[in-house]
Formats: sequence, structure tokens, C-alpha cells
Amino acid sequence: MSKVINLQDKIKAELMDISGTINEIVESYKQLHSPLVETQENVPKATEQLDKISEQTEAATHRMLDTAEMITQREDEVIAGLNKIKTMAQNKELDTIDTLCDEIAQKASDNSNDAFVIMDALQFQDITSQQIDHAVVLLEELGIRLHKILTVLGGEDIASVQNITPSKKRAFDPHADLFDKKTNQSDIDNLFAKK
Amino acid sequence: MADLKILAVDDSPTMRRIILNTLKRAGFTDVVEAVDGKDALAKMEVDTFNFVITDWNMPEMDGLTFVTNIRKSDQYKTLPILMVTTRSVKDDILEAMKAGVNNYIVKPFTPETLKEKIDQILAG
Repeated sequence: MSKVINLQDKIKAELMDISGTINEIVESYKQLHSPLVETQENVPKATEQLDKISEQTEAATHRMLDTAEMITQREDEVIAGLNKIKTMAQNKELDTIDTLCDEIAQKASDNSNDAFVIMDALQFQDITSQQIDHAVVLLEELGIRLHKILTVLGGEDIASVQNITPSKKRAFDPHADLFDKKTNQSDIDNLFAKK
Repeated sequence: MADLKILAVDDSPTMRRIILNTLKRAGFTDVVEAVDGKDALAKMEVDTFNFVITDWNMPEMDGLTFVTNIRKSDQYKTLPILMVTTRSVKDDILEAMKAGVNNYIVKPFTPETLKEKIDQILAG
């Protein structure tokens, strides 16, 4: 009889131990669940924010391009107009006007060139846009993984979230860089020269 | 130069505008835009081009697939193709050469480089 009581005590102690462990697991799960939910909520926000950066950078870039195009157009008109004045001035032999026209025409020409420098510099938008796309894809992948983890932890069937895919198809070069070119143009030229 | 009809393929509207303006300044005014390889192939079915400038990373159909596709066509077997892309890893450049591009520029590029490469390709 005493042996049976002893065994019951042992089982009771073992069950208490298991119960304690389960409580610890439940507590850990509670602690784990909250940040996971927050992360899952924050990832789409980050994705949305990065998309916004991409769109707004694009819009701002277009405004700058519009301005640069207008400057170029106006400057071309100024150059053409000044050339007409120059001809007229030459006919009337007004040397001062002639010289002044040359100076103005040169300045207008310089402005036109500068507008093109701005336009070339705007290539950054394509590169940063690809970098942002890369970040978005990484965040989306993370979001999908977290969603799957939460589904499993919530006791749901993982098959229900197995086919979740990114919201938009993105094409980008993961190495796109404004300054760091892995191969410089002269080396590319050499490769094509050997072709 | 006057009769050169260029197809500029890039998914970035910004890049298309920069390329178009750079080409216009260099004297190339007959330029048609396409947003990716698929769009470019559709435009090539209804129009004739004698020069192509294409990006690599594009949705739907990337530049490499686009080049591979047009090199399969008898009509465009010798069509001059210039690839303008951010991809600067040597293996990528070799892959583009293998696909059949005539020359290759890494973004960001200068207007002088673009004009120089077009002239080089046209000179044969």
C-alpha cells in the first residue's frame, strides 16, 4: 500500500513539474506572440513607406526634369534670338552690341549645358529605386515568413498561408549602385573589343 | 543619323526621359519608347527599328530575354543593340555579350558615352 502511495506521489510530482514547464512554455509563447504580431503589422507599413519613397522620388524627379527641359528649350530660343540680333547689329556695325550678344549667347549656351548636367544627375532615381525595390522584397519575404510562423503558433493549418506571394512583381539589380561599378567602362570596352 | 529609328526600352520612366533627351541632343530624334521586353517585342511587330537601346532588369520580360528573343528572328539577327543597365558584374556583361548585345553601358552614364557607343556600333 505504501508503495502505491509512494508511486502516486512521484507521479503527482512529475505532473506538477510538467505543468510548470507547460506554464513556462505558454508564458514564453505569450511573450513571443506579441512582438511577432507587431512585427507582422509593421512590415507592411515599412513596405508601404518604402513604396511611397519610390513614388515620391519619382514624382520629384519628374518635376526637376520638366524644369530642366523648359530651361533647355528657353535657352535654345535665347541663343537663336541673340544670333538674329547679332546679324542685325553687324549690319549696323554696332560693335558693342555684337560683343555683348556673344557673351549672352555663351552664357545661355552654358545654361543649356548645365541643364543637361542636372538631367544626367537624375539617373540616381533609377538606381535608388532599384535599391528600394530590393529592400521591399526583403521585407515582404520577412513578412510572409512571420505570417506563416504566427499561423502555426495560432494552431491554424500552414497550408492556408502556403501560397502567399508578394503584392507586386519587382525587377531590380541587387548590386545597383550610384558610385560603385564592379566593372568600369574601359574594361567593358576591352571585353567588346576582343569580341 | 536622320533615318535612324531607335527603340528605347526601360521600365523606369525617368530613365526613358533621360535617354530620349540625351538622344535628341545628340541628333537622334526618331525614338520610340517601350516599358519592358514584352512591350518592345509588340512594338517591333508593328514598326521597323534600326537600333535598340535596352535596360536589363525589367518586369514581365527582362532585357536579356528580350535580346535573346530578337536574335532568334531572321529580320533582327543583325539589329544593333546597346544595353544600358546598372548591372556591372563581369559575368553579367559576358552573359549579355553571349545573348548578342553589340555594346554595353553601365548606369549612370554620360551623354558622351551614350553617343560614343551608338557611333561605334553604327560604324561597325
